[in-house]
Amino acid sequence: MKNIFEIKHLTLHYGNLLALKDVNLTIKEHSVTAFIGPSGCGKSTLLRCLNRMNDLIPECKIEGQIIIDEQDIQNDKISVVDLRTKVGMVFQKPNPFPMSIYENVAYGLRCQGIKDKKALDEAVETSLKKAALWNEVQDRLKENAYKLSGGQQQRLCIARAIAMEPEVILMDEPTSALDPIATAKIEELINDLKKEYTIIIVTHSMQQAARISDDTAFFLLGEVIEFNPTKQLFHVPQDKRTEDYITGRFG
Amino acid sequence: MMKKRLFKDKVLNGLTFFTSGISVLVLFAIFFFIFQKGYSTLSLDMLSNNYWSVNYNLAIPESSQSVYTYPSIESGESFSSKYGIAFKDDFSPDKKALIVVSYVDPASPFKLLTDLSAGPNQGQVIPIQLGMNIEKIVYTNTLGVDRSAGVIFKQNASELVNILDTQATKLLSTYTQTEGGGIKGSLIATLYLILISLAIAMPLGIFSAIYLTEYAAKNKTSAFIRSSIELLTGVPSIIYGLMGMVVLYPITTLFKVSGPSVLLGGLTLSIILLPTIIRTTEEALKVVPEHFRSASLSLGANYSQTIFKVVLPSAVPGILTGILLSVGRVIGESAALIYTMGTFVNDSPSVTRGGTSLAVQIWSIMSGEQPNFALASAISIIILGIVLFINISIKLLARRFAKTW
Repeated sequence: MKNIFEIKHLTLHYGNLLALKDVNLTIKEHSVTAFIGPSGCGKSTLLRCLNRMNDLIPECKIEGQIIIDEQDIQNDKISVVDLRTKVGMVFQKPNPFPMSIYENVAYGLRCQGIKDKKALDEAVETSLKKAALWNEVQDRLKENAYKLSGGQQQRLCIARAIAMEPEVILMDEPTSALDPIATAKIEELINDLKKEYTIIIVTHSMQQAARISDDTAFFLLGEVIEFNPTKQLFHVPQDKRTEDYITGRFG
Repeated sequence: MMKKRLFKDKVLNGLTFFTSGISVLVLFAIFFFIFQKGYSTLSLDMLSNNYWSVNYNLAIPESSQSVYTYPSIESGESFSSKYGIAFKDDFSPDKKALIVVSYVDPASPFKLLTDLSAGPNQGQVIPIQLGMNIEKIVYTNTLGVDRSAGVIFKQNASELVNILDTQATKLLSTYTQTEGGGIKGSLIATLYLILISLAIAMPLGIFSAIYLTEYAAKNKTSAFIRSSIELLTGVPSIIYGLMGMVVLYPITTLFKVSGPSVLLGGLTLSIILLPTIIRTTEEALKVVPEHFRSASLSLGANYSQTIFKVVLPSAVPGILTGILLSVGRVIGESAALIYTMGTFVNDSPSVTRGGTSLAVQIWSIMSGEQPNFALASAISIIILGIVLFINISIKLLARRFAKTW
């Protein structure tokens, strides 16, 4: 399998605080990679580096390389807008825009300047179908997105990201605000989506990582302690700290 | 010792209760006072009437019919069957007796009055209107002598009709006056003011608020801009009026407007409104959750798209609140307008000419030789009504758009 992301010697500071220390990871195409670890270990920070969402934080300093399609994303030649259409993101709390369901999905395309009604209609339909939401919302596309349930809102956010036809979808604890049934649906969806997209997911739940991911990286205090295929990491952890964490001795 | 302390507590508690009671009392006193003085003057006619009454000296032609019938005479009305016109007794706002026209038969000679006064309008047909006051009517009596009758001879409506029907053989002329004391002109001028000032202050205010909250770096320059805007809020409005007269007047001359005008007043008001609109828009933008911005950016939208497509629409309820507050400010403003719009009550105001807003009309009425307290109070009721309406709208708006996210 091809590698889509190569992260080399990535170090990140927030002001004087060291958030990531010499991170090296390669992420395979069409797979689900999970980042696990206790709170504040840097897993979300790394995720936000991958589509340069950390640009918004003024005190953030990054060293090292993140390579996608043979280009370093920190490079000024790469436009942030292009990068973000290639690398979509789904957030912890469902955050649809206060507009209609249709407009939510079409938003990214409209921002790219696509005005053709037919193309938008098609993109909205396929994205909602891929996000397993079409059947539930097909006759209420004009309704406000906030009328949907929390789980539906999160799937709408996934559809919104899919509409941009990204290569990678980053998910930052996408089920932490949802009930178990909605969580199960999202997990099922992730399993379907990995055929077409590469998924990188940050999760607090080790069970979730074990259920859905192909590879897992365990973070502690800004360092990647262990990065291995999920089965191996959970059954024969190489590092003592990994074992302690997954057996619930801390965290 | 214990008792003394208890007493002290009671005095202090009583004091707080009493002082907060005072403000409520004052509020109700204002309402009571204004309503008591102005309620009888308040009417729909007042809204649509001119302020200035116009006098006419009109010739009455020969009657084409000898007998007219009135479909239904109301109590207090007197109908002249010989001339087809009905009168009613009434009082002006300043308590002078009036004889008011309450009905005119379509075939009555009073429909074909012609202007007697010398000038370009001489001979023009001016039909009598309902609501006009009859000052006097000149007639030829049965002895062939010309006599006059009307309110200036202390006669009332029924006495006038009696004279017309029994003593007059021919009517010669009449001296009439249109009903005055209305606020139509000021209402229109106030509306113009709201439109002009908002048309200027809204884009300016909203865009500068966007700059300050979204684009400006947090440094000394933006802090200076922000505190300057805050300072603007504290400038007394009479100073804005002076500034308008000196600084903004040249701008209005570009539009070939000279002297005080509604345009100049609107320009001045737009500057008064700026800080309010900037502050409320800033607050509205600040409460838009950060995760909308992140979501938009993560979808490949650039920063301006994020602001104008997501952040600004989400802030609309807050911005509307600011705009409603501004409308209230325009309606209540007087000091800044006295210099810039003049104090002459203009019955048909236009953007390029002077006029008064509702608040300035009160000032204008009360500073004349004969202060018309009843009309001033009636206008106050209208202003208070509008302000109350705006306040309630703001509350409803806030509830309607209560955050769903």
